[in-house]
Amino acid sequence: MSWDDHSHQLEPVDAGYNSRILQMLPSSRARWLCCAFLLLSQLAFGADWRRPAAQLAEKISALTGPGVIALEITNRSSIASADVEQIRHLVVSELAASGVRVWQPDQAAATAEVTLSENLQSYVWVAQIQQGSAAEPSLAMVSFDRPAFSVGGQNSPLMVLRATTLMSQTEPILDAVVLDGSPRRALLLSGTGVSIFDFQDGRWVLAQTLPIVHGAPFPRDLRGRILLGKDHLFDVYLPGLACRSSEAGSLTLACSPSDDPWPLVTADFGLSGFYTPARNFFTGVLAPGIGKQKSGPPFYSAAPILKGNYILWVLSGTDSQVHLLDGINQQTASKLRWGSNLAGIRAACRSDWLVLATSQEEPEDSVQAFEFPDREPLAASQRLALNGPVQALWSQQNGESVTAVYANSETGNYEALQLTLACGQ
Amino acid sequence: MKRFSLLWLAGSSLLWAGVALAAIRPHYGGTLRLTMRQTPQALDPISLVQADASNLARLIYDTLIVLDHRGQPEPSLAVGWQAESGNQRWRISLRNGVSFSDGTKMDANTVAASLRAANPDWRVLAGTDTVIVQTAEPHPYLLAELALPRNSIVHGGLQPSGTGPFSLAQWTPGKHLSLSATEQYWKGRPFLDSIELDFGMGDREQSASFDLGRTDVAEIAPENIRRARAEGRAVVTSSPSELLALVFSAAPQSDEEAHLRNALALSLDIPAINNVVLQGGGEPTGALLPNWLSGYGFVFPFQASSERARQECALAKQRAPLLLAYDASDPVAHTIAERILLNARDAGVTLQLTTHGPAGVTLARIPLASMDPQTSLTELTRTLKIPTPAFTGNSAPEIYSTERELLRSRRMIPLIHLRTAIMLGPNVRQVALFPDGSLYLNDAWLEVQKP
Repeated sequence: MSWDDHSHQLEPVDAGYNSRILQMLPSSRARWLCCAFLLLSQLAFGADWRRPAAQLAEKISALTGPGVIALEITNRSSIASADVEQIRHLVVSELAASGVRVWQPDQAAATAEVTLSENLQSYVWVAQIQQGSAAEPSLAMVSFDRPAFSVGGQNSPLMVLRATTLMSQTEPILDAVVLDGSPRRALLLSGTGVSIFDFQDGRWVLAQTLPIVHGAPFPRDLRGRILLGKDHLFDVYLPGLACRSSEAGSLTLACSPSDDPWPLVTADFGLSGFYTPARNFFTGVLAPGIGKQKSGPPFYSAAPILKGNYILWVLSGTDSQVHLLDGINQQTASKLRWGSNLAGIRAACRSDWLVLATSQEEPEDSVQAFEFPDREPLAASQRLALNGPVQALWSQQNGESVTAVYANSETGNYEALQLTLACGQ
Repeated sequence: MKRFSLLWLAGSSLLWAGVALAAIRPHYGGTLRLTMRQTPQALDPISLVQADASNLARLIYDTLIVLDHRGQPEPSLAVGWQAESGNQRWRISLRNGVSFSDGTKMDANTVAASLRAANPDWRVLAGTDTVIVQTAEPHPYLLAELALPRNSIVHGGLQPSGTGPFSLAQWTPGKHLSLSATEQYWKGRPFLDSIELDFGMGDREQSASFDLGRTDVAEIAPENIRRARAEGRAVVTSSPSELLALVFSAAPQSDEEAHLRNALALSLDIPAINNVVLQGGGEPTGALLPNWLSGYGFVFPFQASSERARQECALAKQRAPLLLAYDASDPVAHTIAERILLNARDAGVTLQLTTHGPAGVTLARIPLASMDPQTSLTELTRTLKIPTPAFTGNSAPEIYSTERELLRSRRMIPLIHLRTAIMLGPNVRQVALFPDGSLYLNDAWLEVQKP
């Protein structure tokens, strides 16, 4: 929390107070999360209310002088109630240090009504002080920056579908890949470049940024993939653009206009799809195709289900339907209410692949694993709730994890998660 | 009720987290149909602002700067900026590769010309990829002002072109506007193919059109929000933002006149107006800025005191009725004006209602100009044609001091901060109303309905 000394002692104003203004209330879950985030972030930031409390107490004591006052504190900000009590204690003790004792109203020479308020950028604490028979209260006000909150990913000890937070940033994240090694590295793809992080001392440290240069504007709902290469570090697929990292020496990234199809799962699967350069979906044209099927409906994402001697492909269509392609037939699973993002995933204890699917709920979202014993999906994991809509869901090289990116509706940050399926829980 | 134009800065032009994509990826294509009360007669940014149709400006034009959800400046057509000489001279670096809808490349000269036309008081110099804005006085919140719709960057004369996500397809002044998606928009082509807007439609007309499936987005007056929700419509509202106020034509010329205004302010039962006439469509206020923007709005009183009102009235020695003007085209303005008249009469103040001609006081709606409090207050004073306040800083206490001085000038009596509201059709996605009431359509899309 940064601090600027914005405290000012103000002249008296007309008496009278507005009734408490009820802002639009978020859902109970959102409120709970908000409170939890606030609490956690306050802990993380040290929750140091001492300085503003001291400033406010100083202003109050300057107006009242030494003596006995009554103190009321009203919270109309996002400050957690536990913190309000802490703030009260701080103000009382700071007042005491200035010779002002807080006591019952009927024995007090003055009453200080402190309101903890806020605006878009700052906390605003106002003390309205009524002394004796004065018609108008005196006013003291301090303001100081509100912290920018940051939260981790969703994780539950009971979950079979596990989420590990990789990164959080304000710029949209398109994809992320983790490279095991020493140190562990992570590649983060955004619309402006690839950021390379090293895992040091328990946190990701930015080591290098490789800018992506492009001529034509990117589509509004920008999507992209980053896939590890065999003879070079990685390839990047973006609408109308392909980038390849250097093979040796210092790491560079070369991008050029390209209509090449994108690998649908990983390069090992050998199936790619052509992506519309100015939109946000795959055209449906496949390379080389699924059996006899060289094309399907336009789709947003695809996941494979291994079926012995063939692969059943599950496509999330632009028509909001889920389509199944087995190399000969195309079916529509009209009852499914899945979102646009699907990805294939494997669990270590199973030989087959499962489908991770998002929901169609708004504004929150969830991810759940499904298996396909036949053509009807069966839930294979619990629903992993995310505090915001999923932006990307891409299988990683070995299929043992999926990168999920969601827009955290509380913080506005984009969160990249590594999702894995754990067995036997 | 006269709608004060100037401001409506929809501004903020926020691109914030609230516009995050939904669980279903956006679909490209389709035409979004909207209805509006306003009747803009011209499409240049200043005319749109004056017609209270700034939301349209953001569809056709871009500004150099946008404000994020905390009111902080972010790059748009500008990619960077630097303040020099104590915030009196700003060097702004421009984005490359942006074109106007008429095909002209945006460069420093066109940007400078556009800013000069909108701000005759500024000295704007064009460099290679930069413009330099010099102001007569230090201007620490210039970036927020550059985010106002009236500072949209335009090229051309009577029918200027912009760099925005949509370009003009068809235009019948005051009646209808067709916009087409700009394929090469520098921030990415909009999801919608086109937008059709019908103007000059009252609330009932809009509601009927919505019920018949002829429009996808319709406005709802604050007094109808509660009913629309009860009817199960998909209603989106802003935070309380548009100021309903009594605005005096001039500063008080005598102590008696000042007492008369005090008496009028103390006589008003504002909560009753909000709860009964406006059906809770706003929040009573004694402040100019809404509390969510200032953080201190609650300290300004608004509660009626008939005893004090009568005392002030006795000091006023009113000799002639005070003319109160209201906008006859606003369906609730007459009812509110009558309420005010009755409240005032109880305190001994004589008002006379009028819908035309000069009046001593006007019942006005003043849209919130910006997500930046300083800019909002400054634009408010421009609207009222009173001296622009000098800010000593940007902290809440400093802005409070300025607002308090404005209120003490007795040029206006704040009544209620109104919510802006719209109702959305079942397949409309990512249409956002920001806290300041501005409508954001740049990310809107239409969902394909499942068979």
